[in-house]
Amino acid sequence: MVLSGYEALFFWIFALAAIFAALLTVMARNAVHSALFLISSLVSVAALFVLSGAEFIAGVQILVYVGGVMVLFLFVIMLVNVGAEEMGREEIFNKQKQVTASLIFCLLLVGGVLYAVSQGYPALQAAQTNKRTPEKMAADQAERDRSLAVGATGTSRITADTELVGGSLYRYASLPFEIASVLLLVAIIGSVMLARTLKQEVSADDVDPETLQEELALDPELAKLEPRVE
Amino acid sequence: MLNFFIPILAFLFQEQSWLMRAADAAKRPDLSKFLVIGALLFIIGVAGVLTRRNIIVIFMSIELILNAANLNFIAFSRYLQDNGSANAVAGQLFAVFVIVVAAAEAAIGLGIVIALYRNKETIWVDEIDLLKW
Repeated sequence: MVLSGYEALFFWIFALAAIFAALLTVMARNAVHSALFLISSLVSVAALFVLSGAEFIAGVQILVYVGGVMVLFLFVIMLVNVGAEEMGREEIFNKQKQVTASLIFCLLLVGGVLYAVSQGYPALQAAQTNKRTPEKMAADQAERDRSLAVGATGTSRITADTELVGGSLYRYASLPFEIASVLLLVAIIGSVMLARTLKQEVSADDVDPETLQEELALDPELAKLEPRVE
Repeated sequence: MLNFFIPILAFLFQEQSWLMRAADAAKRPDLSKFLVIGALLFIIGVAGVLTRRNIIVIFMSIELILNAANLNFIAFSRYLQDNGSANAVAGQLFAVFVIVVAAAEAAIGLGIVIALYRNKETIWVDEIDLLKW
C-alpha cells in the first residue's frame, strides 16, 4: 500500500494529530481534558482508517467510540470526579521511580519496534510475489476507484467497503458475531448490577441477611424498602 | 560562520543523504509508516497505564492501546488488498470485534469504578489497596 499526493499530506496531518492528542490525553491534569483529547485522537485515527480504505470501520469508530464510549466516560467523570482536579495538582504521576522505570520501558519498546519494522519491512517487500512500483500501485488504486458507482451528486464515488465487510462478516465470522452479541448483553446486565445503590439492592431483595442487619442498624429507613412475602 | 554551515547543509541535502531519502519516503507513506504510528500510539497508552493514578485516565489509556491495535489491523488489511489476497477484509472484521470488546470493557469497567467510588470514596489507584497485604 502506498499513499501519494494529497493522501500523503493528510496522512501526516492526521498521524501527527493522533499522536499529539494521545500524548495530551496521558499528560492532561484534568480528566475531562483527557477525555476531550482522547476524542480528538480517536477522530484522527478514524481519518487514517478512511485513508486506508476502511470507511465502514471509520464510521463505526466515530459512532461507537466517540458517540457511545466517550459519552459514558464523561458521564462517569461527572459522577465521580469530586475534587479530583484539586488533588491532581500536587502530582499527576506516581512516584518518581515508577515514572523513570516506565519511561525506560517505553523507550526500549520504541527502539525495538522501530528496529523490527525497519528490518522486517524490506524483507516483506522482497518476499512479495508481484513486485510493483509505487506509481503502478497508485495507478491500480485509481483504476479500482474508477470502477465504483458514481454518487447522486456526480462528484464522488460510492465505496464498496461496507458491502465487502458486511458480506465477509456473515460469511466467515457469523459465530463470533453471535458471541459478540451475547458478550454485549452480559456487559449491559453486568454494568447495571455493578452500579446499583444499596437501596436498589435491598428493594430487589439481593442483600446478604447478615449485611442487611448491619445496614439496618445504621439506617432503619431501609426496612421500608424490603419486599415482604405476604 | 557561513563557511562553517554551508558544507554541513550541502552534506545534509545532497542527493543520496539520509535526510533526502527520508523526505522522499515521507512523500509516499506505506505500510511501515502506519505500523510506526500504531506503535507510538500503543506506547503512549502503555505509558499512561503505568504512570497515571486516576483510574478513569487509566481506562482511557487502555482505549488508546486497543485503538493502536485497530490501526495495525486496518493497515495490514489494506496491504493485503493491494497484494491481491483472497480474504483481504479479515483485518477489518477483526477491528469490528475489537471495537465491540472495547465497548463492553468500558461499560463494565466504568460500572466497577462507580461501585468502587461508592464504597471507597476514591478514584486514585494507589489508595485502592484492598488486596495488598
